[in-house]
Amino acid sequence: MNRPAVSLPALNRRSFLWAMAGLASTTTSGLLLDAFAASPSPDPGFRLVDVTGQSGIRFRHNSGAYGGKLLPETLGAGCAFLDYDRDGWQDILLVNGADWPGHKREHKSEPSTLKLYRNNRNGTFSDVTRSAGLDVEMYGMGVAIGDYDNDGYPDILITCVGQNRLFKNTGKGTFIDVTKSSGLGGRQALSSSALWFDFDRDGLLDLFVCNYVKWSSEHDVFCSLDGKHKSYCTPEAYRGETCWLFRNRGNGTFEDVTATSGIFDSSSKSLGVAMLDYDHDGWPDLLVTNDTQPNKLYRNQRNGTFIDIAVDAGIAFSVEGRARAGMGVDVADFDNSGNSGVAITNFDNEMTGLYRLSDSGSYVDVAMQSGVGAASKDKLGFGCVFLDADLDGALDLAVVNGHIDDTVRNVSGVGYAQPPQLFLNSGKGTFVDVAAEIGGGFSQPKVGRGLAYGDFDRDGDLDLLITTNNGPAYLYRNDETAGNRSIRIHLVGTKSNRDAIGAAVKIFHGALNGTTSQSRLVKGGSSYLSQSELPVTFGLGKRDKIDRLVIEWPSGRTEEYKNLAAGRAYECVESKGITPLPGF
Amino acid sequence: MYSRGVLRSPALHRSPTPGLSVGLIITLAAVVAYSGYITRQISGLRELQNNLVDRNRKDSLQLLRIQNDLNTLALAMRDMLDNDEPYPLTAWSAQFQRVRTDLDDALRREQQVAPVNRTPEQKQYLENSVTQFWDAVDRTFALARDPNQAEARTQIRISLRARQEALSTAVSRLLVQNNESEEQAALRIAEIYDRVQRQVYLFLTATLIAILFTSLYLIRSNRRLFAQLAALSEQRSELAQKLISTQESTLRHISRELHDEFGQILTAVGAMLTRAGSHAPEGSALRSELREVCEITQSALDKVRSLSQALHPVMLEETGLESTLDWYLPVLERQAGIRVFYEKSGEPFPVDGNAAIHVYRVMQEALNNLTRHSGAREAWVRLRFLPQALEVEVEDHGRGFEARATTQGIGLVAMRERAELLGGTVEFLRPAQGGKGTLVRLRVPREKLDLHAA
Repeated sequence: MNRPAVSLPALNRRSFLWAMAGLASTTTSGLLLDAFAASPSPDPGFRLVDVTGQSGIRFRHNSGAYGGKLLPETLGAGCAFLDYDRDGWQDILLVNGADWPGHKREHKSEPSTLKLYRNNRNGTFSDVTRSAGLDVEMYGMGVAIGDYDNDGYPDILITCVGQNRLFKNTGKGTFIDVTKSSGLGGRQALSSSALWFDFDRDGLLDLFVCNYVKWSSEHDVFCSLDGKHKSYCTPEAYRGETCWLFRNRGNGTFEDVTATSGIFDSSSKSLGVAMLDYDHDGWPDLLVTNDTQPNKLYRNQRNGTFIDIAVDAGIAFSVEGRARAGMGVDVADFDNSGNSGVAITNFDNEMTGLYRLSDSGSYVDVAMQSGVGAASKDKLGFGCVFLDADLDGALDLAVVNGHIDDTVRNVSGVGYAQPPQLFLNSGKGTFVDVAAEIGGGFSQPKVGRGLAYGDFDRDGDLDLLITTNNGPAYLYRNDETAGNRSIRIHLVGTKSNRDAIGAAVKIFHGALNGTTSQSRLVKGGSSYLSQSELPVTFGLGKRDKIDRLVIEWPSGRTEEYKNLAAGRAYECVESKGITPLPGF
Repeated sequence: MYSRGVLRSPALHRSPTPGLSVGLIITLAAVVAYSGYITRQISGLRELQNNLVDRNRKDSLQLLRIQNDLNTLALAMRDMLDNDEPYPLTAWSAQFQRVRTDLDDALRREQQVAPVNRTPEQKQYLENSVTQFWDAVDRTFALARDPNQAEARTQIRISLRARQEALSTAVSRLLVQNNESEEQAALRIAEIYDRVQRQVYLFLTATLIAILFTSLYLIRSNRRLFAQLAALSEQRSELAQKLISTQESTLRHISRELHDEFGQILTAVGAMLTRAGSHAPEGSALRSELREVCEITQSALDKVRSLSQALHPVMLEETGLESTLDWYLPVLERQAGIRVFYEKSGEPFPVDGNAAIHVYRVMQEALNNLTRHSGAREAWVRLRFLPQALEVEVEDHGRGFEARATTQGIGLVAMRERAELLGGTVEFLRPAQGGKGTLVRLRVPREKLDLHAA
């Protein structure tokens, strides 16, 4: 009641100022409206349009929640952009949960399964789940896309509650479940995020899978906030579970090297994983976020083993030395320094961690000074991706938020559904959330979980895909309004793994937003339970060309190309040269 | 009598300065002593805080870190024994190695900040236990690599866990010890605070008392000083009045002598000369000479009478102040060559005796000053018989007091003394008109006049 009275003088002063500004310009009508439109920040330069409905995506996540308050119900499921049919258009995969055994919902016409949507190249998608052979009921969590057999067609790993599934792409629009034959069968766990990467650089994608905690529906723990009713437990109530590392033997089978590679850690409660080249040695390292446990930075020792250096690197704990509730994670050169910056989403009251690599080789959390910290204080973040949303040459940060407990409103001030955020990077070390100004209902509160980007409409900018817990998925089309250009690179490995995952791409151009070079890593994983498209996109502002393109392939080969025109995509095949594609 | 009263007064010899100085010194000394005391207490506190509390806390933090590591190891061992992972026990070696790195670091830091009361035995025990624990861990992993998983598990169960628990207990004990010494330190700190608080009250009380005594002493000596001043002033006044009355009686005596003795002698001489002249032949030289001598004698008689009158107007005693003034002012006009405007007002009452003399002398002095110093050619004399008092004013429009030399002292002092003798007041003012010149106003209450008339 007090608020309006208190803010009235300020409003008056502001409306006065706006009125003066209004008089100075030609606008004389709607002065009061101007006064209330408190957006002194400049036009973000792009709009998001919610195209979920019109694109034909009708998906609803099923957490299976029936009142039993089982832990996986809180975690949601992921999503991915992939080009499963190799037609050059990004398709969409949405992971789904399932009803719990003994709690099937009779009224449902069909079982809830993951959904594969083929891109119709006209802004719409077709549900091809059944024809692709993916209408398999399972309690799915995360997804990792990678062409593990180097046949040119991306294969799909779905992490699950119980047994994870590996679906091999036949190249004929169908998938076959090769879980058992690949050697991934016979394992029960609560797996979360996963990623494909070639840790031994043998040209074959290996698989890293995060496991959350030791949990099974039979042995669920009883937790309660009021002492009477069951509520969801925090991870402290459960024992940790090691992540898994599977080495690709190249014959369609995998070898569990968890123990021998030094990855094994029975105390981990992992939710997110991202690959990076922390030490610039060309060998992929891993960053694993753990919930209420220290994060892990596994440095590749180039001999098939890893060593955790997270504590020394300053990324294991928060600035106060506390293990936060690490959820999603993404790694990118957001300050165009050539180093891998890191974003890690955490619980509410913990703030998102935004890390820059200092000269001494340790990570420094710059969340507070960058503006991301305060804006994420009251958010429980999950999926997060670095992307150049406005194509200005500086990587922005998108985050989806949502609480785990729908009764949270009764306990604290934060909501169950929370607005996603899009932090625009000023290029000067500061970020501003423009979610409310880019339209499309993007900033409407959601119980966000998965988040991925991809240019599904091939217009050169990056669109966003969001999943929500026990709710719909959202597809947001990005419409550039400022006329910024971009350049996109599709990489095809020959000696390297075919997806070129692990390739470092660097471009050099005239001065743009305080930089003359940008770098990307071709990577799977990142975000939360999700995977973004593999082609890399560089925002170029108004520049019409780049001077140089340097590619460091995972095989160790370096290629350089000069004077590439902006406003289109290129396909670059290892050792074979570069080809401009028609449009993007 | 004066010399005894004034010079030998003990108060004059004993100045209050030493007493005050002693008070000040005592207060300052108390402040200095107290500051020293407080500084010592604070440094003691700081030492306690630094050496005990802070060190203890740092140590406790490291101990907690060690405890945390030991817990992690315990959890890892529990997982190893659970045997529900598809991995050999060697899988845990990286986890153990990580903890070992952290534990070594924590132990090293703990050694650096270990409290001073840690015994060498305790240190030794901790060191040995840790070494033995890791030795056992290494042996267990060696067994596991052998591979003798079952025996390794047995080792974990019977040896490693026990060692871990023993270590954990030792660390807990150290934590408890830290806690206890911290509590003791807190007690000592509380004691120091109590002591300081008591001292503060004591110091404040002492300072207050010192200030109180000094103030009392100051008041007393001030009072004495003022009393002495008053006495001195009274003695001086008394002396002055005695001088005045002595002078007055001397003058009266001389005046009488002159008038009575010399006057009669001269009168007799004059009569005899007149008689002798009548014997000398008419027109003779002798007769004219005798007449001449007779005239000189008459003139001498007049002069003697006039002097007598000037020294002490007998008229005052005979006819009072009013008629004396009536006589005196025209004489003055003639002698000094100034115009005197004389105004009388009110219902006249007799002013006689000493009172008349003093009033007369004050006026005379004022007029003397006027004729000598003011340069004015006109004077106004007002005699006012008020119902309650007699008021005499002498006014001129000449140079005024400020313009004159400052060394005219004694006359004014005498005027004041006489006024005081009468119980009246004399004021030296500026005339209302023009603001130039001098106005001397003497005012004597009527009852005092009557008192002094005797």
